[in-house]
Amino acid sequence: MQYTHNNEEDRRKMLEAVGVKDAEELFDVIPAQLRTAFGGFSSDGFSSDGLTEQELLRFFEETALKNKVLTSFRGAGIYDHFIASLVGEVISRSEFSTAYTPYQAEASQGTLQAIFEYQSMICALTGLDASNASLYDGACAAAEAVLLALRVSAKKKILISSALHPQYIKTVQTYLENSDAEISFVNVSSPGFIEKNSLDASLDDSVAAVVIQSPNFYGIIEDMRSLAQSAKTKNALFISVVNPISLSLFCAPGEYGADIAVGEGQSLGIPMSAGGATLGFMSVRKGLEWKMPGRIVGQTVDKEGKRGFVLTLQSREQHIRREKATSNICTNASLNALAACAYLSGWGQDGFKKLGEVNISKARYAFNKIKNLDGFCAKFENAVFFNEFVIETRKDAKKIENALLKRGILGPLDLSEYNPELKNCLLFCVTEQRTKKQIDELAEILDKV
Amino acid sequence: MDKLLNEISSKCSAAYDINCDVEYDCSVPDNLKRVSGCALPSVSENDLLRHFTNLSRKNYALSAAFYPLGSCTMKHNPLINEKIAKINAFTAIHPYQPEKTMQGVLEIMYNLQNDLCKISGMDYFTLQPAAGAHGEFTGLLIIARYFKSIKQKRTKIIVPDSAHGTNPASAAFAGFETVSLKSEPDGSISPEKFKELLSSDVAAVMLTVPNTLGVFEKNICEIAKLSRENGTLLYYDGANLNALMGIARPADMGFDVMHINLHKTFSTPHGGGGPGAGPVGVKSFLEPFLPVPRVEIKNSKYVLNYKKPKTIGRVKSFLGNFPIILRAYCYIKSLGAAGLKNASMQAVLNANYMLAKLKDKINVPAGARCMHEFVLAPKSALQNGVRTLDVAKRLLDHGYYAPTVYFPLIVEEAIMIEPTETESKNTLDEFIEVLSSIILEESAHDPQKVKDAPVKTPVKRLNEVEAARKPILKWQL
Repeated sequence: MQYTHNNEEDRRKMLEAVGVKDAEELFDVIPAQLRTAFGGFSSDGFSSDGLTEQELLRFFEETALKNKVLTSFRGAGIYDHFIASLVGEVISRSEFSTAYTPYQAEASQGTLQAIFEYQSMICALTGLDASNASLYDGACAAAEAVLLALRVSAKKKILISSALHPQYIKTVQTYLENSDAEISFVNVSSPGFIEKNSLDASLDDSVAAVVIQSPNFYGIIEDMRSLAQSAKTKNALFISVVNPISLSLFCAPGEYGADIAVGEGQSLGIPMSAGGATLGFMSVRKGLEWKMPGRIVGQTVDKEGKRGFVLTLQSREQHIRREKATSNICTNASLNALAACAYLSGWGQDGFKKLGEVNISKARYAFNKIKNLDGFCAKFENAVFFNEFVIETRKDAKKIENALLKRGILGPLDLSEYNPELKNCLLFCVTEQRTKKQIDELAEILDKV
Repeated sequence: MDKLLNEISSKCSAAYDINCDVEYDCSVPDNLKRVSGCALPSVSENDLLRHFTNLSRKNYALSAAFYPLGSCTMKHNPLINEKIAKINAFTAIHPYQPEKTMQGVLEIMYNLQNDLCKISGMDYFTLQPAAGAHGEFTGLLIIARYFKSIKQKRTKIIVPDSAHGTNPASAAFAGFETVSLKSEPDGSISPEKFKELLSSDVAAVMLTVPNTLGVFEKNICEIAKLSRENGTLLYYDGANLNALMGIARPADMGFDVMHINLHKTFSTPHGGGGPGAGPVGVKSFLEPFLPVPRVEIKNSKYVLNYKKPKTIGRVKSFLGNFPIILRAYCYIKSLGAAGLKNASMQAVLNANYMLAKLKDKINVPAGARCMHEFVLAPKSALQNGVRTLDVAKRLLDHGYYAPTVYFPLIVEEAIMIEPTETESKNTLDEFIEVLSSIILEESAHDPQKVKDAPVKTPVKRLNEVEAARKPILKWQL
């Protein structure tokens, strides 16, 4: 395929206007020794000729067959949720997908208003005052939240829950690698969550921020109200890492005085797609908006007084502030924020609550079923969870995984790879997508392994 | 038609619903429960569809008109890419699936890594970074790790003043001090000035080639030599790679680390500001520091390798922006090596054609030839107080998106134009005609019309100052 216009007559006229015989001449400024490199370009495996659309489709359909589409009981950061047709319809519109970052506001009101609506809904979900236009993903959003807290507090110490998603921990560590910030951890206790006492014991006035995920990596809802309270007493900022759908039932960051809420927005209408591209969301309490990273859309009026939307608070950003910017981010996850906007706008307050109720009901149904099987028991019996839970087993995890794969099921995540203390522990996820029949089948296979 | 979702929301008509085939079991302890409502709008599917369709019509998009945005490479986004990205066996894959059940995903990632190596001359690529600036950050962390590993304390990064703002921001983000290098009027680097800044604590220099004025860095070999002699690494900002595919390779120029914007050079749609992808390529000696996991091949199976003791770690969760990676790979396969070279040649020819038609009428600070983009300095041509911003807004009235304006910062009232290879001569001719007439005729004879623009857009000129002075960042009653 070629996407250029191959009209010889036009080409001749253009070359003539430029005053060259051949387009190659335009590259004469490149030193000759650099041009010779071209020979290596079409070396082995790199076909010189392009494929037609028909061949491309065939090739990629065949390659796709090397993946297995499975019935998923696995979450751990990426979730199989139902995506209504409207979402795909909206983000497929080329007026949205082929537009650039909305620098020319008057010609970008579609993108800008949609992001403004997205920001409004993220604020409604988290109960906070200001949201940005999106970040790359949940892990990056957590790292950016930590950087924000360090900027605001002028302190150096960050206290992170050991039950924060391990990839988020890694990402935060990488982001802080060359700073003088210091990371320490507050451990979950044996019931699977962080106890107020242990947070209190780790806290002192030198802590810039406390980062707690709820539901945590093990699916358990933390007592965010009391943990946030503890952070407040030591003047540490409280950063909540939240699952947006769990906020339909569980307390919102704004309700317990969180300063910053971040999370992975993939659950909000974005396919799993091997873990990306997703959406990182961030909202903050009033007063922190000028310190936020990323694009922010604000409402204004045009010169006739009509409402319109623009990118705003831009003096925080790299294209204006260069090395003094609050972040280096430019391209973010705009089209996925649009997906989240379309997703959230279709539920309504009651529908969204019901979605949460269906998730927790199905997860509890599966939990009760599995923990009562011979060879399985609940790891954190008295903890409250949303749509993920941990089961301990004396059966072999690998055998379980393979037995389920044979039936087209992606089983639970083996936690022993992530935490040596959780040997023989499996992290299950049950969303609204799983039917009673599928859960029963899962239990039946587990029973027989 | 201009209402917000919250303003068309009505109590009873939500678009989506869900049933439950197990018994409801959803009581939550009071201390964990949400007490405040969650004020999401409630809108029917019909009204939502109209809402979003009408919103989309307020956007200027590449699919509707020419988008000559300099440095952003707004080339046609092939439709086959979109079709392939929707294949269920790509979209429905969980990132924690066993490797043996996601060989298709890993194969595409592995092959794209290799293709990017061939195009750039680099030895290894990671596809993890999510955007260009994220790639810069990753590359700079790799550089920092490298110097730590050889026990050299280098704290500075040299960035020309013509560079994208992301360069100095990424350097600061990665813990370095930025040293600004004054570039020449055509955006190029003077080896003498460069040498003066090259102290023993300079870790790297970040260069954009061709530079942001669309000029190939003629002294690149000498700059590379000076850097090498000083033990300083060379970072290539791949924003402008579209000029060079199949023509010249950053690795051969002496660059050690680079990023590529898949959403620019490799045609993935920009989405109104992402998601994109910013793969990072390195020479062999930097491979140990790349983020994990690495996509590798072992016994003819694709595997994820986490065992890299010197790695910088992770810059995001999971593998990378796979749907973008997939589209970029599809694009490379659709063009092949010859097609990629042809694309770059046509991109450069298109830009030179526009420049040739404009250069006698409007001042060009970087000379009569360019690579894939060029910059106009229209200040002397504009009359009656008409500014570049007015020209940009007036172009909107003609149905065009505006070029990049006021960048690079070293050119006053800059207008930066990048036509890309996928525009026809006809499109270019029409645009040249319109742009010339705004700058040369309208600014002289009807300046108020330019200053009042745009008038044909869904809203008139918006008050950005007021938006920042009294921020309204979410819907309020």
